[in-house]
Amino acid sequence: MKHLFLRLSLALGLAAPLLSAHADGQVERGAYLARAADCMACHTKPGGAPYAGGLPIVSPFGTIYGTNITPSKEHGIGLYSDEEFFAALTQGKRRDGANLYPAMPYTSYHLMPRQDSDAIHAYLKTIEPVERDAPQTSLSFPFNIRLGLIGWNMIYAEDLQLQSAEGKSAPWKRGQYMVDVLGHCGECHTPRGETGAMELDKRMAGGVLNGYLAPSLLSDDLAARGWNHQDLASFLKHGMSAQGTMFNEMYPVFHNSTQHLTDADLAAMATFLLGDQPPEAKALDEVAFDKLSPSAQKGRQQYLNVCAGCHAAQGEGKPHIAVAMRGNTTLRLDDPRNLLRVIEDGIAEQQFTGFERMQPMPGFADKLSDQQLTDLLNYLRQSWGGKPGDLAVSDIQALQAQAPSAEH
Amino acid sequence: MANRPLQLTLNGKAVDSADIPDDLPMIDYLHEYENLTGSRLGCGQGICHACVVIVDNPDGTSEEVRTCITGAHYFAGKKVRTIEGHASRDEQGKVTELNPIQQRFVDEFAFQCSYCAPGFVNAATLLVEKLQRKPVVNSQLEQVIEDSLGHHICRCTGYVRYFSATRNVLTDLGLVREG
Repeated sequence: MKHLFLRLSLALGLAAPLLSAHADGQVERGAYLARAADCMACHTKPGGAPYAGGLPIVSPFGTIYGTNITPSKEHGIGLYSDEEFFAALTQGKRRDGANLYPAMPYTSYHLMPRQDSDAIHAYLKTIEPVERDAPQTSLSFPFNIRLGLIGWNMIYAEDLQLQSAEGKSAPWKRGQYMVDVLGHCGECHTPRGETGAMELDKRMAGGVLNGYLAPSLLSDDLAARGWNHQDLASFLKHGMSAQGTMFNEMYPVFHNSTQHLTDADLAAMATFLLGDQPPEAKALDEVAFDKLSPSAQKGRQQYLNVCAGCHAAQGEGKPHIAVAMRGNTTLRLDDPRNLLRVIEDGIAEQQFTGFERMQPMPGFADKLSDQQLTDLLNYLRQSWGGKPGDLAVSDIQALQAQAPSAEH
Repeated sequence: MANRPLQLTLNGKAVDSADIPDDLPMIDYLHEYENLTGSRLGCGQGICHACVVIVDNPDGTSEEVRTCITGAHYFAGKKVRTIEGHASRDEQGKVTELNPIQQRFVDEFAFQCSYCAPGFVNAATLLVEKLQRKPVVNSQLEQVIEDSLGHHICRCTGYVRYFSATRNVLTDLGLVREG
């Protein structure tokens, strides 16, 4: 009987903080914030247990593995206090004092208020602990020296300074927190120098990640690619819009994060990205065939041969099968890299909200010659992208040389 | 839309068509211009693989290509085999002998309605030819068949017999080694 009392009181004592966290909605809020901060993306490997780590993050310096952040005391963060969790999140400090690798976006998270960090921690404490170590990160010298990161942090890990919010609307301010701090969108959409540090003077101007461009999110660039407020918010919610679908690295971001956010927060993100007075989305007129460059005219036949079966002869796309080429935002990028990569690599079958699907797109790397690829890109970009059809074979080959190995 | 000439090799015969629309899908070209109606239009969107034909590449490899989503002009200058090209025929064009895969599919009742059969025959024929160049060891046989036929869809649920008949043909032809 004594034991029973002891157990009961222990159980109640242990459960008390969790109960109170649930009672005031802290855990639910933490779950939402963890979605918005997309912790899942790096701390869960595809098909793996949630937050148990293991996703390989390939960097120019080696492969970094997302760690186990379940409440396991041995393998996860079960021993972290709220204070220690806050230090890890916002300063990149591990509980034992070591520096986290800057794949952890603490330079963005550093502006997270303590109460949000505590809420995320409260939520993570409620998930099932996974008693397993994530694979060990192995970086090349000198990046394998965690101590060296003190130097890296001193020189390069310039904490994000937010743009002044003076005179901005409440949604703009909320959007800034969602995009710049929680969403850490700039970590991919900002170019990085040779040390891996973001070039903050070009913040959000677009970065290259594993051979794909994370395009510029600057308001004028978004508008020039056809984005308006409603479409941008809807794109984040549904993973697709008239401008195309999420693919490559944004596809898991949509799945793990943006589709779960409230409409108000998504609208706020669009407000922040496009501004309180958004520039007008640029509409494009289709360029007639006889106005196309000679290369683009030849590319029309490549399009009809291998693309039109799904994207339709006039680029209108087919619902639930393949996106439209007319109005597609990827065709409107100055940099033809993503268009080339998608055509060469293909896209696996995709699932979106509301049972929406897009069929797999085959890759054409070994189906089209470099000349045919060049003609095809010129046709797509000039007909529907507002770009000149003047890419040369050497431009395409230069981009192919930059693609991640395995492909070529 | 414009028309343009198209030359290719179809089942070993040089074909020269004068006036083929530039956006004509290959399946329509086979049906409407060459009267080769054996290739089946199933889903029309590149998923079911009932419409595949075999393309023999200059480097000696062969591959299946979906004709419902690929334009006829993609095949310009290429060597194409369709379901009509597998059997042996006499001088009048009458079938005298099916190829081993076709015969085995018939013998083992591998298909029911037959709509998907041309695609399966092409895929399994390609597999036979591939293993004739390099036989497979027994332990990898199931995987090799899955890799070759797995993306073909059969709505009569004939997969078991297709797979079994293919396995038997490969074994009887001596293309499966111990291991």
